[in-house]
Amino acid sequence: MSDPAGVIAIGWPQLLLATGFMVVTGGITLALQLGVTKALWLGTLRTYLQLLALGLVLGWVFRLRQPLLVLAIIGVMTAVAAQTVVRRAPDAPRGSYVRAWAAMGLPALVITFAVTGLIVRVEPWYLPRYVIPIAGMVIGNSMNGVALALERTFADMDARENEILALTALGASPWEAARESVRTALRAGMIPSINTLSTVGIVFIPGMMAGQVLAGADPLVAAPYQIVVMLMVATADVLGSTLVVLLTFRRRFTPDGVFLEKGWRPHAR
Amino acid sequence: MDVSGPSGSGKTTLLRTLARLMPGATGSLAVDGQRADTLAPQRWRALVALLPQKPAILPGDLRTNLVLPWRLKVERDVAEPGSEALLSALDEVGLGGLPLDRDATRLSVGQQARVALLRVVLTGPRVLLLDEPDAALDPESSSALAQALVRIAATGTAIVRVRHRESDGLAARRLVLTQGGRLTEAGP
Repeated sequence: MSDPAGVIAIGWPQLLLATGFMVVTGGITLALQLGVTKALWLGTLRTYLQLLALGLVLGWVFRLRQPLLVLAIIGVMTAVAAQTVVRRAPDAPRGSYVRAWAAMGLPALVITFAVTGLIVRVEPWYLPRYVIPIAGMVIGNSMNGVALALERTFADMDARENEILALTALGASPWEAARESVRTALRAGMIPSINTLSTVGIVFIPGMMAGQVLAGADPLVAAPYQIVVMLMVATADVLGSTLVVLLTFRRRFTPDGVFLEKGWRPHAR
Repeated sequence: MDVSGPSGSGKTTLLRTLARLMPGATGSLAVDGQRADTLAPQRWRALVALLPQKPAILPGDLRTNLVLPWRLKVERDVAEPGSEALLSALDEVGLGGLPLDRDATRLSVGQQARVALLRVVLTGPRVLLLDEPDAALDPESSSALAQALVRIAATGTAIVRVRHRESDGLAARRLVLTQGGRLTEAGP
């Protein structure tokens, strides 16, 4: 089966055949009594449901071409990403969720529309077929870096508790006392995306380029797209991590600038 | 002034409250007639300086650690000391002969405790709050520290010390706390 664009469509029989992989995997986990068989089946089922639902929703959104709907979808994607980020940083102070949302949403919007408007130059500016997948890549791929930076900031501040107390006692402001932790955390958050920039194309063929090539695109057309994607993801990672850390670190201090050590913190997030 | 009392009686809490480093503390504080609530917390802490029990020595050499307070934005009454002043100050706490470019993180615990003390003292606070300053020191370092404190007190700096050890005769007054933070004894 081949459509005019050169895409070979996958039908239900082929999809079931691919599910055969999971039967083999399930068999192995069952034989070794790894206790993950149920989670594996549930995961497979969710992959089916979520991706088919995504296909349906995207098809619907592409046909509707409503700018507000496109923005709302980006908002929901960022909200879910922010929730994931905050869940992975259990020590982050209360109120981090809204800040993580802002810290990821703002760069995501700026970068997505800079790419679609200035680089890919889509018409109209909100063309869902371009805007939504690009926003998804920006948000999804910067999520790990942002989560890492947020988690490291508060873990590092706890580890440096004595240093922060001594600095504060010398008259340091919260920023002066927390600066080393913030720098350590930001470096940690940025290293994965910097590493990705230098290994891409050698160690792995990134998802979007692989997808375009599979869809019949000339690899030399796909490569510039992938370069743009890599650069925008790295930018989103750096901007998102920096913003989330700068917006949240101060909340670990009282208004008087005293670091809230463990035991002095409000319990619920 | 020496503060003593069993573990958990609130000695450290008392010092932290005086330095405005205790979240949720209420009441009023004043130094030389200046009320704490009329000053920014950072400025208050520059005047009423706490040396926490665990010395925080930052990566870098001795000089970097000693002039650290002047790298912070808070206003100081005393100018940043030069190399000569730093070396003679080191000499006064029994660390004479250590070069200023020595890696401070490689000093012994007792030496680090004295560097941390010196760092606070050099800023010229009006009140110096010391949380068990000689807990990690051998008798020799401890007496070097005591002599340094006598000199500091002679310049008009008030010193409040939390101390477990026997009185060394330096303190003019003594506060004793009991479990639950009650003041039981105050006297010379």
